[in-house]
Amino acid sequence: MKPIKEYNIVITGVGGQGVLTAANILGWAALHAGYKVRMGEVHGMSQRFGSVVSYVRFGDEVYGSMVPEGKGDVIIGFEPVEALRYINYLKQGGMVVVNTKPIVPVQVSMGKARYPELGEIRKIVEEEFKAKWIGFNAEELAIKAGHVVTTNTVLIGALTQVPEFPLDAEHVREVIRLSVPPKAVDMNMKAFDLGIKAAKNILGL
Amino acid sequence: MAKVTDMVLWDKPGEKVLLLGNQAIARGALEANIAVFAAYPGTPSSELTDTMAIVAKKAGVYMEYSTNEKIAFETALAAAWTGVRAMTAMKHVGLNVAADTFLSSVGMGVEGGFVIMVADDPSQWSSQNEQDTRVYAKFANVPALEPSSPQEAKEMVKYAFDLSEKFKHFVILRTTTRSSHARGDVVLGELPEEIKSGKRKFGKFQKNPKRFVAIPAHSREFHPQILEKIERIREELSDCPFNWIEGKEDAKVGIIAPGLSYSYVKEALHWLGVENVKVLKLGTPFPVPYGLLEKFMDGLEKVLIVEELEPVVEEQVKTWAYDKGLRIPIHGKDLVPRIYEMTTRRAVTAIAQFLGIETPLNYEELDAKYSKALEIVPPRPPSLCPACPHRNSFYAIKKATRARGIYPSDIGCYTLGLLPPLNAVDTTVAMGGSIGIAHGLEIAQHGSLSEEGRKKEKKAIVATIGDSTFYHTGLPALANAIYNRSNVLIVVLDNLVTAMTGDQPNPSTGQTPHGPGKRIPIEDVAKAMGADFVAVVDPYDIKATYETVKKALEVEGVSVVVSRQVCALYRIGQMRRRGEKWPIYYVDEDACTGCKICINAYGCPAIYWDEEKKQARIEPSMCWGCGGCAQICPFDAFKPEGGEE
Repeated sequence: MKPIKEYNIVITGVGGQGVLTAANILGWAALHAGYKVRMGEVHGMSQRFGSVVSYVRFGDEVYGSMVPEGKGDVIIGFEPVEALRYINYLKQGGMVVVNTKPIVPVQVSMGKARYPELGEIRKIVEEEFKAKWIGFNAEELAIKAGHVVTTNTVLIGALTQVPEFPLDAEHVREVIRLSVPPKAVDMNMKAFDLGIKAAKNILGL
Repeated sequence: MAKVTDMVLWDKPGEKVLLLGNQAIARGALEANIAVFAAYPGTPSSELTDTMAIVAKKAGVYMEYSTNEKIAFETALAAAWTGVRAMTAMKHVGLNVAADTFLSSVGMGVEGGFVIMVADDPSQWSSQNEQDTRVYAKFANVPALEPSSPQEAKEMVKYAFDLSEKFKHFVILRTTTRSSHARGDVVLGELPEEIKSGKRKFGKFQKNPKRFVAIPAHSREFHPQILEKIERIREELSDCPFNWIEGKEDAKVGIIAPGLSYSYVKEALHWLGVENVKVLKLGTPFPVPYGLLEKFMDGLEKVLIVEELEPVVEEQVKTWAYDKGLRIPIHGKDLVPRIYEMTTRRAVTAIAQFLGIETPLNYEELDAKYSKALEIVPPRPPSLCPACPHRNSFYAIKKATRARGIYPSDIGCYTLGLLPPLNAVDTTVAMGGSIGIAHGLEIAQHGSLSEEGRKKEKKAIVATIGDSTFYHTGLPALANAIYNRSNVLIVVLDNLVTAMTGDQPNPSTGQTPHGPGKRIPIEDVAKAMGADFVAVVDPYDIKATYETVKKALEVEGVSVVVSRQVCALYRIGQMRRRGEKWPIYYVDEDACTGCKICINAYGCPAIYWDEEKKQARIEPSMCWGCGGCAQICPFDAFKPEGGEE
């Protein structure tokens, strides 16, 4: 274990997408790696198909459960506008790992709001927040791996390739293997690999 | 990997596990050899109760989901009177429900330790108000402990039981959303033999009318005793292991950090790189231990109190300083907001301002960039789930009243019926409030049926209330409406589970965590109370629901319709676990005319608008197969595909 002051992950998405599950896997992976861990989440009403956010933090100087604004090392967005909604947490020059498949809110279908183009979101992330955009259709890869529920595993796989990510990819893979039901291990391993590959492609690794 | 709820009962002292704050508290209660636990669920306290529900039987603990917080409080209190250790848990507004018993019984004290866990919700993530339980602690003269981490939460429970027994007094363990729902590494401690062997512990009640019968002649003696007790506790807390002074001993400036705010202060000081300060870490915001405070204040030239919500610590510190003749600047709510939750940003900003230094981040710049980003972000409030039976009930109610009714509602998932396109909630106040509000609106606008001069108009006030909420505080309100001859319709949205807080059982199903209890059908209660019309419908049959509601509106008096269908989220969870499949609906492109009724009147989150084709579409991963869309579409455009998972 490499001692670190703090590493901050912000996970965002739509209630029901598996944000809490992803946070849990990363939290346990950090704990097993020997780090002090804090995670923050909100339960109750906001989980019902609304916008959700979870925080996973680890390191010696981590105390609170929420990532401080402007201090996030990486945002994992399960949905594009949800990644942008919490962009205030990202540090200057941070990373955004994002599933580019949108979920259209009811208000947009009703014609009361507009869903932005992916390019507009990316532009703000890159130009205003000077962040690295690692966007791909994770849902498509999850379906390829066997089921849409593995979208979170795809995204975690991609996260392990982010420069300076403190946890070892094989270590994270092991935690996933132990966390998912036995019959789902194979498809999750496949999803994890697809996520790694997607991120490597984008990062030119 | 083992289930977290199993870890809570692990006999592995020294093992480090990742626990939710609420689960850490459950573990603490087990390590403290708790005997009785009774609670009504409420976010953000629920996981404590749910964890206890799972481990209770194995640990030999009596656990129950009580029907409301007052009853839970009484159950646990009485248990503590018999000499065993007891705990109750609730969200902050739950203490309002329990307040009558709470404030009337403080003076009676306890024999076995009695810990009241109350979870506050600053920023109101899932609550109707932002009250601060520490104010209740002061009001009742009961100590309030507040942890700064999951580990501390666990240790505090044990300490709280000891403190309660030592002083025969109640102890509040106050958390907030960010401590109850924080996960962190927790080192497990020793479990008592009785918990390990699952041996149930029984108490014995010793009669003592002077203590337990609160007639004025008896209870008049309580008040001086309570005041004397709380001052003795204040002294004791100077040596409390959760209160300490840290930082530079000869520093001229000091920061007081109560409860969870300590964690934000620590991060802020690291970030700011400030070392020349002294910090008073307070695990007991009420009462502030004056002995320790005096030691801390010695030599300080100015002080900042970084406190969330009400200035509870600030007022105690300022009062103490005034009485001591100490005239140094004491900052608090002038630099730290009194509203919404504490964050590292708030701590950093307040401390920087207090010390006259720059923040490490230019927040103005960040805010400007961020508001630019938000301009293109569409809102995504929570919504009723796909296949939620409440949607159908609301749809039928709106149709039967031609959207001209008044719709008082209650606390639960169904409050989300407020949002467009349903717009089917006009008022929501507090648990069980829908019926009383409906009755008040009716008698104010039309009068009671027993009044001769009443205005005779067709019934148009439709209250909605959930099954658990109905048993929580709806019962006396229904009795009142019937007794006082109201003319309202009450639709009980019975989804056979306490859905919002995590699928807890309730009297409508009669299940308990430990097996069958006794079922109390809502319709039987309504009939027995003398409601003028009682019917049960399945909201998955929208037409039948509409017709029943219409009929219920025709009847003069109090009508009760029980709209019964199991919670969709709960059902889908069960089906997934069993590997079962359900039909996925799709839009027949030849049939869809683009009328948008499904989107603009029904509003299932699985249905979205295809802007190019000007037609409705279903997101298959979100369809839970209820077929409601097929019932409301005038053009039969929604069709089921064979059961895909």
